[in-house]
Amino acid sequence: MSRDESPVAATSGRSQLRRGAALIAHHVRGHPVSFATAVGGAAVFATCTVASSWAVRRVVDQVILPRFEAGPQTWATVGSAIGLVILIGLVRAAGVVVRRTFAGITQYRAERDVIGLLSDHIQAQPLAWLQRWPSGDLIARIGVDAEASVSVLAPLPFASSTILLVVLAAAWLLAADVLLGLMAIALFPILAVLNVIYQRVAARHFDEAQAHLGRLSSAVHESFEGVVVVKAFGAEARETDRLATIASHLRHARTNAALVRADFETLLDSAPTVANIALIIVGAYRVKAGAITIGELIGIVYLFTLLVFPLRLVGYALSELPHSLAGWGRVREMLDEPLEADPGDHVGPSDPGVGVELVGVSFGYSADRAVLGDIDLRVAVGRVVAVVGATGSGKSTLLGLIAGLRRPESGSIARSPRRALVFQEPYLLSGTVRDNIELGTERSDAEIERALRIASAEFVGRLPTGLDTVVGERGVTVSGGQRQRIALARALVRHPEVLLLDDTTSALDPATEAQILGHLRSELAGVTMIIVASRPSTIALADEVLFIDGGTIRARGTHGEVIAADPLYREIVEAYEHDRSDSESPGDTSPEPTLRGNR
Amino acid sequence: MTAPSSVATLAVGMSHTPELRRGLGLTVLLALVGAGGRVVIPVLIQAALDRGIDGERTDLAVVWWLCGIGFVATVVASLARRAATRRLGVRSEEALYGLRVRLFEHIHRLSLAEHAEERRGALVARVTSDIETMTQFFTWGGIAWLLNSTLMVFVAAVMLAYDWVLALVAFVVAAPLAIVLRAVQHRLVASYERSRERHGVFVSQVSEMITAGPLTRAYGARRLLTRRAGEAADNRLAAYVRASRIGAFLFPSGEVFAVLTVAAVVCVGVVRGPGGGLTAGALVGFVFLTYRFLEPIAELTEILDQTQAAVAGFRRVLAVLDIPAGPPEPLPGEAVMLPPGKLAISVDGVDFAYRPRPGLDESTVLALRDVTVQIAAGEQVAIVGATGSGKSTLGRLLARLADPTTGAVYIGGVDLRRVNNDELRRRVMLVPQDPFLFDSTIEDNLLFARPGSSRAEVVDAFERLGLGDWLGALPDELATAVGERGEQLSAGERQLVSLVRASLANPDVLLLDEATSAVDPLTETRLAGALSRLAVGRTTIAIAHRLSTAVRADRIVVVEHGRVVETGSHNELLAASGRYAELYEAWIAATGA
Repeated sequence: MSRDESPVAATSGRSQLRRGAALIAHHVRGHPVSFATAVGGAAVFATCTVASSWAVRRVVDQVILPRFEAGPQTWATVGSAIGLVILIGLVRAAGVVVRRTFAGITQYRAERDVIGLLSDHIQAQPLAWLQRWPSGDLIARIGVDAEASVSVLAPLPFASSTILLVVLAAAWLLAADVLLGLMAIALFPILAVLNVIYQRVAARHFDEAQAHLGRLSSAVHESFEGVVVVKAFGAEARETDRLATIASHLRHARTNAALVRADFETLLDSAPTVANIALIIVGAYRVKAGAITIGELIGIVYLFTLLVFPLRLVGYALSELPHSLAGWGRVREMLDEPLEADPGDHVGPSDPGVGVELVGVSFGYSADRAVLGDIDLRVAVGRVVAVVGATGSGKSTLLGLIAGLRRPESGSIARSPRRALVFQEPYLLSGTVRDNIELGTERSDAEIERALRIASAEFVGRLPTGLDTVVGERGVTVSGGQRQRIALARALVRHPEVLLLDDTTSALDPATEAQILGHLRSELAGVTMIIVASRPSTIALADEVLFIDGGTIRARGTHGEVIAADPLYREIVEAYEHDRSDSESPGDTSPEPTLRGNR
Repeated sequence: MTAPSSVATLAVGMSHTPELRRGLGLTVLLALVGAGGRVVIPVLIQAALDRGIDGERTDLAVVWWLCGIGFVATVVASLARRAATRRLGVRSEEALYGLRVRLFEHIHRLSLAEHAEERRGALVARVTSDIETMTQFFTWGGIAWLLNSTLMVFVAAVMLAYDWVLALVAFVVAAPLAIVLRAVQHRLVASYERSRERHGVFVSQVSEMITAGPLTRAYGARRLLTRRAGEAADNRLAAYVRASRIGAFLFPSGEVFAVLTVAAVVCVGVVRGPGGGLTAGALVGFVFLTYRFLEPIAELTEILDQTQAAVAGFRRVLAVLDIPAGPPEPLPGEAVMLPPGKLAISVDGVDFAYRPRPGLDESTVLALRDVTVQIAAGEQVAIVGATGSGKSTLGRLLARLADPTTGAVYIGGVDLRRVNNDELRRRVMLVPQDPFLFDSTIEDNLLFARPGSSRAEVVDAFERLGLGDWLGALPDELATAVGERGEQLSAGERQLVSLVRASLANPDVLLLDEATSAVDPLTETRLAGALSRLAVGRTTIAIAHRLSTAVRADRIVVVEHGRVVETGSHNELLAASGRYAELYEAWIAATGA
């Protein structure tokens, strides 16, 4: 798997085994009883496997051969020999049940522990930390790597019992006949080596296939996402060809893996048969020499057929180890990230009468590029401030700092304690409208309805089950504008003293937007509002304008004052307004508009 | 809707994957010969015991002979098995590749009605994860099913040939296993199904916990999301443990029955004795055969989950292939070219409905109903209406990205359904709102419109739209990388690129779907300039989100709840004091800062 190509997986075999042992010890320490039970079940299985070969020998030597050579026997002889076969078989099966059940419990509970540790750690980190990691990566650490880190636990009890099985079988075989025993034992390492070579060779093709699969997934995603463009330009066939090329690389790697697999499967499958044939030849000599009984020879051959399967699975357990270690490495990397301080701790309470106060605040996403520099800002309680500026001028960052989601590099921030921030991209959780507004708190219907009314989100009442309608991926589809209004209601229901709106009404038509802004003015007297605005209508709502350019406050005052004082501001707002100026000359229907900005 | 049975799914699936059927007979034959390898030891034991090995009277020459034959048989069977496995592997990969390509092709040919945003994830999953579950099955489970079932048949045949009485005894004692397997298998399959379902919920809760990071940190709701993910993890754990417990009981069931069957066979054999022609060797050989007969059961229980997942994946893939491709191309003989020059458009009594998502809002809502509009050649028309009124859908029908449910669209007097597809794409161009750019350079994205354009032509297109200075200001000009979905560029800049892309294609009918989101003022100005230059000399239909676009148009079509409620020029509509006048007043009030 390509995700496994981390330095963790590439280290030497010895250190890999050592770290594997540490990983297993870590997981087992959390669930010692269930793991020990699983190993116990496996030991019962191993013991009974060897014992069953002894029982078969007894059946051949004491029941079958005498019957065909000497005539009928007593029921007691037959019954005890057969009863033993059945008893051993049943105990052996019980061992399998116990082993598999408890191995599963150990594995899944250990995984649950890892998931819990990871989510707690990630959730304790502030937003700035979270945004340094791609979401997909974090999701994969919890959803994929946690699972990988415990995958070695499933075959582990079985693998350990196989070692016991090999030791017991070797002892039994040597006790029965030294020569035959040595022959049989020689096969174990041969099978083990074959297995290891197979895993290595196949892994190469599987890694390659995995890399192609990753490429295919993203290409498919892109191609389907751009379907309107693909269709608009009639490029369906071209796109299919492009994807088919990637798919054919995948097929090539997979076919190679299948061919390697066929070769090794054949070898692993026929080697024990060939060894068994050799055993029969040598065994015939030993029987003729009177060294062993026929029953002992049959017992050995029988034991051999039982050993084939476990020996092959040992290779499987070994092959899981690098995969597990790679997953565990990525889990540890995440858990070893030091917890960062909550930037909200940096925001102090403001003086009475002051809604928001920033003194000498600077902020930069990276050290060499300041987004905001030396901002001083004092907003009285109840004032409505529009923040205006070009894309990338630092408007959203300013709101994030005031909200306490980002930590300034220098300077201090104070504000009224209760604040709510509404993002430009509204995020709806899967769940009902009510869940989305309450977010884990309890709110009365009256409170929620008031918030929805101010946010002009009465459409919620017309949804199939009103507030309890499920929205999002598994529920009804709500438009971008509807999402924005639910998100606004979510903020309003919290009775904020400071309301921070980051271009929150961008997806709404101007009429609805105007209505909402009107509501905010009339219903939220006394609430300090800082609004990132890109439409003249929003700017018009504000008591004053904060014009940001290049990370500093370039101008501040009423809309009229700033427009008179700052030509750059005028240019920006006029460009915003060009729609309106066009509309004032309705007689002009020429397709070539008169655009003041287009000089 | 009840899901078709697994067998039915596989049967239909086989008809969609001709690669799998090719040479399957020979593969099965080879697998049968390969299965012979598994009975070499039991047969050899029988023969050696009856003819060679007999205590001190053992005939070593006979043993050597028999073992020699056994060795040759093993080699032959191994080679046959290797050939069968290789053939299956190669054919499976061929089949999966073929299925993937057919899916790509089909999905690209589906009507846009099938490409609603909510369904996109599902379509991607069909080509990736669903085919992956099938791959896992084909490369292990499928081969195991074939080899193990041929093996059981083969061993059963050998048992019957040896001694039909003992064989019948073995079958009768082992038969209840089939009943046990059937009973437990249902529960196992259900528990795997539940595991997968809960895993899906778990993954989406974890994704939500991560992607809602800004929200949870702004609203102090981290604990809510951690709890939701934790509960999903607990539910998943319970389902996994339960499935593994059921599997633990099922797995050794073959062995338990093998032991009982062996006991019964030995008892009957011992009671019958040498009278019925039975030999000691045959009885011992039979013991081995009985184990071999039931050995595959364990592996089959292991691959049950895989099989079920593969069948479910196959079913979903087949369901996508079953959606009729659309809009269908006219038959080669009936395809018509459009008349040269500017083109008039006529929309005649059109209804349109998007395909509902199964299980959700099943009642079909008409996105358009009884829409009739006439547009003269070269006319500049704006379609206005609130979000969700159906105006974007109308634009898509005009580009024939989908066909009307009822009614018809005519361009240049020709029913769109009869127009040659390439001709249509050449003459009619939709410029979508929030245009999609591929993760490549600006130049590659432009060449998508007209492969083989020279660099000079591309640069010229920028100049003609008045965007030469903008291009010059980009870090790498045409070679500037746009990032995933074009996100390295701002929304406005993506629209600029998409206008140049449209201009390279040089269509006679231009369908502009304006973006809703605000773009920064400077880009806005550039956009408006480029747009008006692009519109010159073409029939232009703007799906307008800004009323200023409407004001500039020759004629305005007002759409509300999927219906055309008004048409006319700006002045006429204002005078009519209808819906448009309302929208306009609200807009003036809102923007009248």
